[in-house]
Amino acid sequence: MRRTREGLNRLLLAALLGVALLLPIAVRTDQYTLVLLTTILLYGVLATAWNVIGGLAGQLDLAAGAYLGLGAFTAGTLLIRLNVSPWLGMVLGGLVAVGFAVLIGYPLFRFGVKEVWYALSSAALVEVLRVTFLIWSQVGGPVERYLPYHEWSFYHLRFATYMPFYYIMLGLLALALLVNHWIRHSKLGYYLMALGENEEAAEVLGVNTQKCKLQALAIYAFLVGVTGSIYACMYGFIHPNFFSGPMSIEVAILGIVGGMGITYGPVMAAILLVSVREFLRANLGGQLEGLYLVVYATVLILIALFRPQGLGPMLRQAYDRLLSRLVKE
Amino acid sequence: MSAPILQVSQLTKRFGSLVALNNVSLEIRAGEIFSIIGPNGAGKTTLFFNIIGLQKPDSGRVLFNGTDITGKPPHTICDLGITCTFQVPRAFANMTVEEAVRVGAYKRYRGREVQRKVDEVLRICELEEYRHQRCCDMGLAPLRRVELARALATEPTLLLLDEAGAGLNPSELAGLMDILRRLNEEKRITLCIVEHVMQMVMGLAQRIVVLDYGEVIAEGTPQEISTNPRVIEAYLGKGAVC
Amino acid sequence: MTDTLLQNLINGALTGCIYALIALGLSLIFGVMNVVNFAHGDFVMLSMYLTFWIGLWAGADAVFTPLLTFPALFLIGVLAYYALIDRTLRQKYVTQIAVTVGLMTFLRALTQLVWKAQPRALPYSIIQGNIQVGPYTILASRLVSAVVSVLAIAGVYLFLSRTWAGRAIRAASDDLDAASLLGVPYRQTYALAFGLGSALTAIAGGLLMTFQQVDPTMGVRFGLLSWCVLAMAGLGSIPGLLISGIIVGAAEAVGMSLWDPRARSLIVYLLFILVLWLRPRGLFGRK
Ligand SMILES: Nc1ncnc2c1ncn2[C@@H]1O[C@H](COP(=O)(O)OP(=O)(O)OP(=O)(O)O)[C@@H](O)[C@H]1O
Ligand SMILES: [Mg+2]
Repeated sequence: MRRTREGLNRLLLAALLGVALLLPIAVRTDQYTLVLLTTILLYGVLATAWNVIGGLAGQLDLAAGAYLGLGAFTAGTLLIRLNVSPWLGMVLGGLVAVGFAVLIGYPLFRFGVKEVWYALSSAALVEVLRVTFLIWSQVGGPVERYLPYHEWSFYHLRFATYMPFYYIMLGLLALALLVNHWIRHSKLGYYLMALGENEEAAEVLGVNTQKCKLQALAIYAFLVGVTGSIYACMYGFIHPNFFSGPMSIEVAILGIVGGMGITYGPVMAAILLVSVREFLRANLGGQLEGLYLVVYATVLILIALFRPQGLGPMLRQAYDRLLSRLVKE
Repeated sequence: MSAPILQVSQLTKRFGSLVALNNVSLEIRAGEIFSIIGPNGAGKTTLFFNIIGLQKPDSGRVLFNGTDITGKPPHTICDLGITCTFQVPRAFANMTVEEAVRVGAYKRYRGREVQRKVDEVLRICELEEYRHQRCCDMGLAPLRRVELARALATEPTLLLLDEAGAGLNPSELAGLMDILRRLNEEKRITLCIVEHVMQMVMGLAQRIVVLDYGEVIAEGTPQEISTNPRVIEAYLGKGAVC
Repeated sequence: MTDTLLQNLINGALTGCIYALIALGLSLIFGVMNVVNFAHGDFVMLSMYLTFWIGLWAGADAVFTPLLTFPALFLIGVLAYYALIDRTLRQKYVTQIAVTVGLMTFLRALTQLVWKAQPRALPYSIIQGNIQVGPYTILASRLVSAVVSVLAIAGVYLFLSRTWAGRAIRAASDDLDAASLLGVPYRQTYALAFGLGSALTAIAGGLLMTFQQVDPTMGVRFGLLSWCVLAMAGLGSIPGLLISGIIVGAAEAVGMSLWDPRARSLIVYLLFILVLWLRPRGLFGRK
């Protein structure tokens, strides 16, 4: 076999895919590990979706929880009230998230709300929605609303094990990565990167920055909305706390730590940080609530201070070095 | 004498109480190399920003090939065929040179054509060796050429250059002037250059307008300008003309 | 009906003075060094916990704890500046935010670790009782808090306009290059501004503890609240901050009574988003 870069890249990708596909079978009875793996994938999807608006377009969005919650409530409510299958519900959930994102994003970008102010207003949005759904008793309210129970129903997306959700999430991750990859190499991607670096310079080169930002926001909201629908089915209930501020911030952190604009960065960060977090939580959680967050925060600060480009470029360099050694042999 | 490509009439721009542009009118003709000079703070950059749409004038009009473009957003104006470079380079820091130029090339091309345009522009601007370098790792002279290249990739008919020669050494300057002259002659791009480097202005420009405190104080050929007493006064202060 | 409305308006406006004080701290940090401090609300929370702690162990009244917490928070602010913020000044704003978000998470987790997640409150304060003005009842602690806040704001105003250090801060916020030329050392000035901005939360924290409890999620609320006040006021106007604080406080209280007590944050955030859309420079902003 001839060793080429291309070939080795493919080999690695195939190997990773193989591991990802086989992993749940190895731990199939261990529900805790399955939830953990699915959660890692979930954050991977969210952070990869965030990469479109945050990494490429450079808009520090802190509203992942808003779109996640909207997706969850759309699919959940449709299932509870009208017995609509979540398979349809997730598409609608994504669309509701997009509709809301456009509604909010249009005036924000129109009036030139930027940088900090964009970050803050998006963070505020999550809280606004949380409280709205808390008060809006027809749909939300302070008590959990459970999805109809089914032992095993493909139509209702309810299963006795987490394994199907693992695969659904894996599929979603693949989709998010493909979308990222595709955008990264398209006109929209170049336009987003340009406006993320310098908006005025991009405008002068013919980039309709408002429109591009809105497109990026819509793509991100759709992916997160769909993820939210599945999130609701996985946990079997919906609650206004799905509009979670801390979770939104964590998604952005994963995107930043992974390396802004790097397609595979956010997933790497999710695998690394979420497993560290869950490990710490499992082992220190009981008596020392909050300790895992201290460690987590310290890691974030250190990375932001000493590796402001994120982990992505570092991993990439290491990988390139490894490849060139293998190819030379 | 050819038709005007850009007509600026009675443009006024205020920042609070400061009048940065006061009733500025001028005309750029198709195919020429036009220059705007003036002391620091005269309003040259402001004039560019108001033509290109980055700022909206308080009053006055800008016509491009006869259509009114006053107050239009920059990307629309770029579609029509005007773009500019910045006085302080606004590099796309984390993008490679090729990627940065690509941004411009997408304006008029799709698919394979994009790469062809990028290659062409990189060759013209003598940037082929820097192709894969990130913009933030580059020196001033090549960075200015990157600004020029990505602007060229949008295929403008009128290109505004804000102090493209500032901070370059004599040989870099000669190289840049060569490129600009070729663009004007071979690609028929109308150039409007704002410049402090007199050598460049006198070597390139066919007509010059002088701004001072936001007002046009003189207009003419390089010879006329260099002997105009009002211009010398504006540059050197009162009493310089004996 | 109108009576309860006015009653709420008064209460809200009084609390709003404390909001203005908190936002003044933020405005010092953001206005002077253009650093986006996401952790500001958590400094307030930290001050409240410190107040609680000192109140419990030393038996000191919440009103007097700023004597200890003010220098403590000043020191923490200066340390945070040199350890974290100083290194990010030349970085993209995303890096800055990442660092302060890290700081925010750190503080929140630390307080959770030390004081657990339950809400804490001090048993009593020496400022007790109510003042009756016509049909309206005013909680003495709120009134005192508002007065102290306004005095503190005035104090900062005097400090900025009358002392050399204050003028240095203002000069650095107007034009750093010019200020450096005139011999203003930017590092020390920034550290001073960051320290002072953080220390102001100590006063606010002490005052808040005279009439309410604290829990670790409080930081988010005060963070967004102070950004809302700052966005409404715009940069550079101290009286504007006070007015905005009062508006936000009053709107919050009125909304809570007319609509739903849980809508508290909703009103603040809606106000915030509206201001960003309609008046991106704020109502009183000068830059
Ligand atoms: N955004 C702005 N806000 C307020 N004043 C401004 C702004 N932009 C420019 N000015 C002022 O307008 C005047 C003209 O500035 P401008 O940058 O156009 O000058 P210039 O001719 O390009 O000078 P230079 O040769 O230094 O580049 C200056 O006094 C400047 O301080
Ligand atoms: Mg200029």
